[in-house]
Amino acid sequence: MEERQYDLIFICRPDTPEAEIDKIIATVEHAATEKGGKVETTEKWGRRRMAYVVKRLREGYYVYMVVRSTHSEVIKELERRLKVSDAVIKYLTVRLDEELKRQAKLKRHRERRAAKRPRKPAAAPAGGEQASATA
Amino acid sequence: MADEHVPNQQPAPASGTPAGQAGFRQQTGSGGARPQGGRPGAPPRRGKRSFVRKRKVCRFCVDKSDFIDYKKAEILAPFLQERGKILPRRMTGTCARHQRWLTVAIKRAQNIALLPFSADL
Repeated sequence: MEERQYDLIFICRPDTPEAEIDKIIATVEHAATEKGGKVETTEKWGRRRMAYVVKRLREGYYVYMVVRSTHSEVIKELERRLKVSDAVIKYLTVRLDEELKRQAKLKRHRERRAAKRPRKPAAAPAGGEQASATA
Repeated sequence: MADEHVPNQQPAPASGTPAGQAGFRQQTGSGGARPQGGRPGAPPRRGKRSFVRKRKVCRFCVDKSDFIDYKKAEILAPFLQERGKILPRRMTGTCARHQRWLTVAIKRAQNIALLPFSADL
């Protein structure tokens, strides 16, 4: 089973205390791990001005996490928990593994193409790419 | 409404003007309304609406970016009008592929309140 990667961003009310935010992060991590996923990164972007009014608030506390999992239901569970929480006012999950695969493929193509062409020796970007047929 | 995003499949990625097809653009509604005094003028054989903009290159192609990150509002913001609408390719010079990715990224960013959906004048 392929491992999928998801980007999860959620926004909390700006007046939420730090402890509460940590608690929410812990809940998310817990929910992910109990379904066999793992949280790869967590970033707190902190308070930011939002581009439009959400729930009558202009600012929000942004948190960004990357979750990997082989099961897709983990996201449903995560979102459910976020939905239920009062502090979280908005969330967005983006599935990224296809995107990253495509990126990697494009990059490989590009490097392969660059290796075939006689590039300037000083700036050989494709030095590491061994896949070129001829050099 | 989808016509605007139908890619103009020109083989030359650097061409910022797909606007040859006069019949295509009927519902941009922007031909006369665009106050583009500063832009280099249209080639003389065209009608009112083609702005060649000196063959502006797609800045994503120049950077060779594979991914337009929806989290980076500062990259995406120049592609929105003041009113919050997404700028068409002929204004920004983006190539078709990157314009599609850009649209997806902008819409995601809008959903997460990093970019506005619409800005009231």
